[in-house]
Amino acid sequence: MTTESLTAKPKQATHVAPTVLAGIAAFAAVGVYVLVSSIGLGLWTSLGPGAGLFPFAMGGVLVAMSAIWLVQELRQPSETAQGVDRSLVLAVVVSLVVLAAVLDLIGFQLSMFLFLLYHLKIRGRRNWLVSLIIAFAGSVGAFYAFNYGLNVTLPTAGISLLNSIGL
Amino acid sequence: MDTLNELIGGFAAAMTWQNLIFAFLGCLLGTIIGVLPGIGPVAGVALLIPLTMNLDATGAIIMLCAIFYGTAYGGTITSVLLNTPGEAASAITTIDGYAMTKIGKAGAALTIAAVGSFVGGTIATVGLVAAAKPLGEMGLLVGPPEFFALMVVGISLLVALAGKSMVKAVMSGALGLLISMVGIDPVAGAPRFTFGSDNLLDGVSFVAVIVGVFGLSEILSYRKDSATSVVHAPGLRSLLPNRSEWRRSAPSMARGTGIGFGLGLIPGMTGSVSSLLAYVAEKKFSKHRNELGHGAIEGVAGPETANNAHANAALIPLFTLGIPASPTIAVLMGAFLQQGLVPGPTLFTEHSEVAWAIIASLFIGNLLLLLLNVPLVGLWTSILRVPAPILTALILLFMVIGAYTINFNVFDVFVMIGFGLLGLALRYLDIPLAPMVLTLVLGPLMERSLRESLEISQGDFGVFLNRPIAAVLIGVGVLIVLSPLLKLRKPKALIEDPET
Repeated sequence: MTTESLTAKPKQATHVAPTVLAGIAAFAAVGVYVLVSSIGLGLWTSLGPGAGLFPFAMGGVLVAMSAIWLVQELRQPSETAQGVDRSLVLAVVVSLVVLAAVLDLIGFQLSMFLFLLYHLKIRGRRNWLVSLIIAFAGSVGAFYAFNYGLNVTLPTAGISLLNSIGL
Repeated sequence: MDTLNELIGGFAAAMTWQNLIFAFLGCLLGTIIGVLPGIGPVAGVALLIPLTMNLDATGAIIMLCAIFYGTAYGGTITSVLLNTPGEAASAITTIDGYAMTKIGKAGAALTIAAVGSFVGGTIATVGLVAAAKPLGEMGLLVGPPEFFALMVVGISLLVALAGKSMVKAVMSGALGLLISMVGIDPVAGAPRFTFGSDNLLDGVSFVAVIVGVFGLSEILSYRKDSATSVVHAPGLRSLLPNRSEWRRSAPSMARGTGIGFGLGLIPGMTGSVSSLLAYVAEKKFSKHRNELGHGAIEGVAGPETANNAHANAALIPLFTLGIPASPTIAVLMGAFLQQGLVPGPTLFTEHSEVAWAIIASLFIGNLLLLLLNVPLVGLWTSILRVPAPILTALILLFMVIGAYTINFNVFDVFVMIGFGLLGLALRYLDIPLAPMVLTLVLGPLMERSLRESLEISQGDFGVFLNRPIAAVLIGVGVLIVLSPLLKLRKPKALIEDPET
């Protein structure tokens, strides 16, 4: 129930929010795409139901529900939810994408060290000592703990120069 | 007597030192996850699945189960001391729990909550022991059509009960099913919705999806205004409740156990509903009902007992029928499947030692939590003093490691990021996430049983109507989905948000 309980109770809206319309459109588009592509997968074979039957049904459900949702919104627009903190979303998502992109290249230890430092020092405004200690423990420390403690190998650097110095 | 022998065998297996350590670690992690407001039980369990993949099946599942019910204990601590529930099922406890803190009775509230949780959890586990054999045997009579029908009932209940709008719940469920279909189709072997990517041939990893949708999106939806206040852990001496507090709690615990146990068996009911109804029951039946809201011990004992009885009772449909009753249980079911164990009646015939060892560990875990929880309350509250940026950074660290280690592939990290954004969008649009998780795990099983059924009947959908059990179950499912048209009102407790 954690998920449903996030929204507060703002005032009644008078018109449908554009973001809600975009959401409905996105769901309907996914539904249509699934409907079309599942026909290509084959709805029925001589042996019985084909690979496309189940997805076809779900695509149909998505399209039908989007339509009902649209009607509901037009009749009585829902309350607009509280906005999100865009700078936070951007910072977290971009830093994660960069991290994932370089993970195999410069290895877990270096990339995670920089990632943690960014979130602790630059975004979190912790002092240098705390930031460095946590970033080091979370990168190099975690690497060895997982490697030797749990038998889980985290990626090492693909660049041989970095790899040769143990990263 | 047969059951008793198997249970004793289970205790022998669960008491090996490795398994005790796993139970202990699970309880510890569960409590921490319960205390931390940023991460709930669903993401918590999902995050640790990859780390347990190298362990043997029994140890891994023991640990994940302990995390699952450990969160129910941990969530109480912040409700009582801080007036902010660590997880939703403890929300109602804030009313009287925090009121007790204000009048200097925090210690008694925490102790009674832990004892109530222990009582509820243990009695529900006894129920699981009693139900395992008969329900399991009944479950063996279930063929593909009945299994399909059973899942239809489970999913339709969840859809009907989740959130305010059934339309949105159905969409969430359909989306989960579609995501579960990505990859090689299990019957014909054709790739579906892989967009030409080799990484998607095995499907989207459900761990990455769940960590993204439940964990990352939670972090992405943080707002600055949620400042944490200073917490003071009660001293050891004040932890003991006095005699009248014990006496007043006993009937509340009994009511809480009954409510939690009963509702825990129903798919779609969450722990929050149980604790909410337990509070309502206290308001109606307690002798001290006029004190409720001003720091009455009943307002802590009832709901806290109910949510733990609920958590443990919810394992009964999973173990005996293979039906997950809540999102967390669905994730747990995913962990079973990854270990090669199929929850359901065959679990007791094919992996009986594992099943009984896990059940025995539930008793041990509940005892461990009782012993851990109260005396260490100072330690738990100190976690809350860790500044938010540090917690966020560490949670992100674990998410990346968890996602990467599923297949040792960066692709799953990208999957997690993508689904984190999807989760954020769904939260923004007020679409419930619970149906999606359930269908994500059940999707492949559901499709297989549907197709097997239709192959048995050579394509005749009548197979679901000619077999009495399947027909009744499908009928129930249809009734549930159509209930809004019949103008049946949802109980008020399900619509009202426990946190407002």
